[in-house]
Amino acid sequence: MEEKKVEEQGCVIWITGLPASGKSTIAEGVKKQLRARGLKVEVFDGDEVRKNLSKGLGFSKEDRDTHNKRVIYVCRLLTRNGVNALVSLISPYRSTRAYARVQLPKFVEVYLKCSLEECKRRDPKGLYKKALAGEITNMTGIQDPYEEPLTPEVTLNTENDSPQRNVKKVLEKLRNLGYIN
Amino acid sequence: MNGKKVLVIGLDCAPPELLFNGFIDDLPNLKKLLQHGVHARMKSTHPPITIPAWMVMATSKSMGKLGLYGFRHRKPGTYNEIWLANSYSVKEKIVWDILGDRGKKVIVVGVPPSYPPRPVNGCLISCFMTPSTEKDYTYPKELKQEIENLVGEYIVDVVFRTEEKDQMLKQLYDMTEKRFKVIGYLMKNKPWDFLMFVEIGVDRIHHAFWKFFDKQHHLYQPRNKYENVMKEYYQFVDNEIGKLLKLIDKNTTVIVVSDHGAKRMTGAFSINEWLIKKGYLVLKKSPKKIVSVQEAEVDWSKTKAWGWGGYHARVFLNVRGREPQGIIDPKDYKKYRNRLIADLEAIRGPNGEEWDTKVYTPEQIYPDGKGDYPDLTVYYDDLRWRSAGTIGYASPYLSENDKGPDDAVHSHYGVFVLYDPNKKEGKRIGDISILDVAPTILEIMGIPVPLDMEGKVVKEAL
Repeated sequence: MEEKKVEEQGCVIWITGLPASGKSTIAEGVKKQLRARGLKVEVFDGDEVRKNLSKGLGFSKEDRDTHNKRVIYVCRLLTRNGVNALVSLISPYRSTRAYARVQLPKFVEVYLKCSLEECKRRDPKGLYKKALAGEITNMTGIQDPYEEPLTPEVTLNTENDSPQRNVKKVLEKLRNLGYIN
Repeated sequence: MNGKKVLVIGLDCAPPELLFNGFIDDLPNLKKLLQHGVHARMKSTHPPITIPAWMVMATSKSMGKLGLYGFRHRKPGTYNEIWLANSYSVKEKIVWDILGDRGKKVIVVGVPPSYPPRPVNGCLISCFMTPSTEKDYTYPKELKQEIENLVGEYIVDVVFRTEEKDQMLKQLYDMTEKRFKVIGYLMKNKPWDFLMFVEIGVDRIHHAFWKFFDKQHHLYQPRNKYENVMKEYYQFVDNEIGKLLKLIDKNTTVIVVSDHGAKRMTGAFSINEWLIKKGYLVLKKSPKKIVSVQEAEVDWSKTKAWGWGGYHARVFLNVRGREPQGIIDPKDYKKYRNRLIADLEAIRGPNGEEWDTKVYTPEQIYPDGKGDYPDLTVYYDDLRWRSAGTIGYASPYLSENDKGPDDAVHSHYGVFVLYDPNKKEGKRIGDISILDVAPTILEIMGIPVPLDMEGKVVKEAL
């Protein structure tokens, strides 16, 4: 398959952050805004993608890397056909996100900054509770590290700022980069 | 990202034996880097050859992943057709691409293969493979005029397999002087966060003058007029490096590297002459003069294997369905290959002495290899004997290279020196891999190392 010129390719908005930092909310908000502009958008959200792409894989570094690499590969296929991809994954390791960056020509790293305390307080899926009780292991933020991005394109304060405001910030960045009008 | 800069000084072919020991006391600038920095032997590629070693270093991807196995590659399904590597053969991201994508300004000079010049976020001058300086050899294109205003005709390489030693030396100094002048100019006049250059002259002086310097070389003559030429050239390069070091600040880390090492050549061994003797290669007619296997009248319908010359031998099998007149049944491929490996490993020297010959299959050295690799890679007596591809000799043992005078061969270890001006204590650390250079550069500059880089950050050096 012939690759499109970079200008014609879709972009990848890679949303990374601790569990319960608000990734799905931001992805949903950005998706609506992009679709409202008539753009093709596909969303890759944690559990759903795992179920379909990586059933059987766990949460060790190796398994996470494998899972993320698969998502990156699918993103590459989509974006070279002009589809934008919104990826909402914890993706805790810098090396994984750096790999996504070299693989995907129009890559926008969006870091959701939210304190571990606040994430634990939110805990919509009860994962922190389970991890603290020792019922699950390899939980990012509890047993496993989260490596903050060093130079993301966008940093969102999801602890204090509203989702609307944060979605707007992402769109502004996409406009500045020339990826949307 | 942290605002740090990196200057990479590439000395093609510089071996640790000369840079860490032999010449170092006469190289004050490099000695300073060693004394106050961290240095190590650096394991090169399999085989240790300029192309693709520099790109393995600059991408942290193995040869198999790059699909590059040398300068020349056999076109699949042919006996005599080849394709040559160039800058566009490198499909993986190079460290300066990754840096450029993050907004870092880069300067790249002479890193092979970099012809034709590909766009970078800064400027680039292509390498020794540039066919002529009449071609465009810079990015951006206009840089060429700036260079020529500065030094006149820029020189990318010298003819080094020649008996005209004085002329070669003059050209060599001319080339190196101009290159360093250009690099100094770029350092002063262009913005840069990362600068990498390769001086190919170091490789050329080894190949052209090793026998005059190395008392153990079989062609060494005492008190010859070129005895000190190699050391003097190293001193010249060291002095030029000293000038560049005056241009950097405390924020700049300096890395000195070579793509592989060098050692004296003991002789050349005609792979095809030997294959003929062993019955693997069959000619319709013996040549009356020395010819390449491509020029010879090979009876492909009876030939099982043929080889290429170089610092190592590349051997190809004539497989049915793969080669035009292949005769080895694919199901017998491993059987024939194993027999050939055993025969190659049993080769002894001209006086019956044992050789430390190493023979590698692609599965061993390119486990996930793609592209056009040979069926076998052979190091005669661990590379002390180079491979001659030509035939028409009475014996396969030749005292000189078949393609012009060449006194040195490559060795497995190059050099790595890392100097951070803010640190004072120098030390030697254990061997590192050529794959480790790119991740280390990214780490220094505060850029995450992509998951698929095969090397690791040399933490002991930071």
